[in-house]
Amino acid sequence: MSHRVATIALHTFKECVRERVLYTLVVFALLLIGAAILIGSVSIGIDKVLLVNLGLSAISVFGLLIAIFIGISLVSKEIERRTIYNLLSKPVARYEFILGKYLGLLLTLVVNTGVMTAGFYLTLFYQQRGLGSDDLAPLLSVYLIGLELALVVGVALLFSTLSSPVLSAMFTFCVFIVGNFLDDIQDFGRQVHDRVVGQLANLLYYLLPNFSTFNQITAASHGQRVPAYLVTSSSLYALLYVTILVGAAILIFEEREFR
Amino acid sequence: MVSESETRAARRRKLLLSALLVLALAATLPLRRKLAAESAVSAATPDLLYVTSGQTLRRLCLGYNGLLADLYWTRAVQYFGRQKLRRATEFNALGPLLTVATRLDPQLLIAYRFGAVFLAEKPPAGAGRPQEALALLRRGVVANPDYWRLWQDLGFIEYWDLHDYPAAARAFEIGSERPGAELWMKTLAATVAAKGGRWATSQALWSEIYRQAQNDSIRASAREHLEALRAQEEINHLDILLAEYRKSQGRAAVSLTDLVRAGMLPAVPIDPSGVPYVVGKDGRAAVSPQSRVNLALAQ
Repeated sequence: MSHRVATIALHTFKECVRERVLYTLVVFALLLIGAAILIGSVSIGIDKVLLVNLGLSAISVFGLLIAIFIGISLVSKEIERRTIYNLLSKPVARYEFILGKYLGLLLTLVVNTGVMTAGFYLTLFYQQRGLGSDDLAPLLSVYLIGLELALVVGVALLFSTLSSPVLSAMFTFCVFIVGNFLDDIQDFGRQVHDRVVGQLANLLYYLLPNFSTFNQITAASHGQRVPAYLVTSSSLYALLYVTILVGAAILIFEEREFR
Repeated sequence: MVSESETRAARRRKLLLSALLVLALAATLPLRRKLAAESAVSAATPDLLYVTSGQTLRRLCLGYNGLLADLYWTRAVQYFGRQKLRRATEFNALGPLLTVATRLDPQLLIAYRFGAVFLAEKPPAGAGRPQEALALLRRGVVANPDYWRLWQDLGFIEYWDLHDYPAAARAFEIGSERPGAELWMKTLAATVAAKGGRWATSQALWSEIYRQAQNDSIRASAREHLEALRAQEEINHLDILLAEYRKSQGRAAVSLTDLVRAGMLPAVPIDPSGVPYVVGKDGRAAVSPQSRVNLALAQ
């Protein structure tokens, strides 16, 4: 089983790497990180703060774009091209296919995030003429961004098994937006007088992944390290949600009929 | 096979197209000038902030509040610099820009510290709004209770801009109790409480600002204040000598050379910008109109 999943994952990775949009996004992110030095020079006293904020935000935003735009076509492209028939006629279980696809895109994102992080640290090294122990703080923030992207890929994959690429992209983006406002939605649920609306807000709060948990960019820009408990709980939280999302995608895909 | 007439027609087309390209490019020049003039007119209109609530922006920016705060701080710096270049006396957007930046990132210490200086300085050097500067710093100490330098800035504005010496001494005292605070904060609290408003105290405060300035414009401002303080002190001394001259000679001195001739001064003294002091129409010592020293800064 693991061998087949690894093969699909590796093929998915190779397929993703062939996408030109991937390189465009990574190059654009690297340019933006480099531009932080120029932007910092027209301000006062925030050279490093701005570089960390802009660098980590670029890693997060461009990682998000890659996760959404490649994630949505993971399954639907196979169906569109009718290569799914060929694949499923082989001794490959449907859950292995979904798992392999997920891991393949995750690997792509890990490599991309690694490249962007290397670009960020090179820029930081150039700006400060060296690196200190304080500069490790952004690394933990990058790890949390990675967890966030793993969740977004899970959401994109789930919608990819259900819907067309355009709709999947819209749904995934909406889930990401709503997932950033969950605390406000809960507050709204508490303040609203309508009981049904209140319960609906509460349901959304517990059902959707809370993406704001993973955002520690501002703290990292001030050299504050992410506390160990937050790293552990966020990792566990992401793992549980990824299990739920990939599990749901497998369940839907298992039931799907291809004619 | 392509006939000769077809080749000639193709060459003509190419030439025509090239000429058209050059003409089009030439036509953009007046258009570009017109657009530049129009944008200059629009740039002269008052600065507007479409979203003035930092809390709202913080919610809308999907967690990228740190980056947005940096951009708002940069906007505040640019706005302040632009208004100063225009010699404008109105800095209406400065306060809201700083408020938004610090609401987006309450740990953006630089925005509290320099922002307060920009707001408190008297026009034309700054916005002349010390109360807004105090409000900004008070929000800063709430968000960063352990950062003693914000208390130092608070005390400084109470002392220099509002002349509230007991409040300044209190701020220095509280700041001196914060972790990492330097020892001179305690001394400063005691000095300000005992000798608030005196020249030596003001000089000590500005010297400290000059010593720890991390930015050229703040350092230059501190130097100008120190020069003004020194010039004011020297003028006070010259006024005493002029009064003595009037008493002993029975007439007022027309220039400081009269004091030199009377042996009261070894030479005509020069101010910190290197220009000799003069005697004004009112018979009192003053800085020359050619001097760079801005005595208003010493008030």
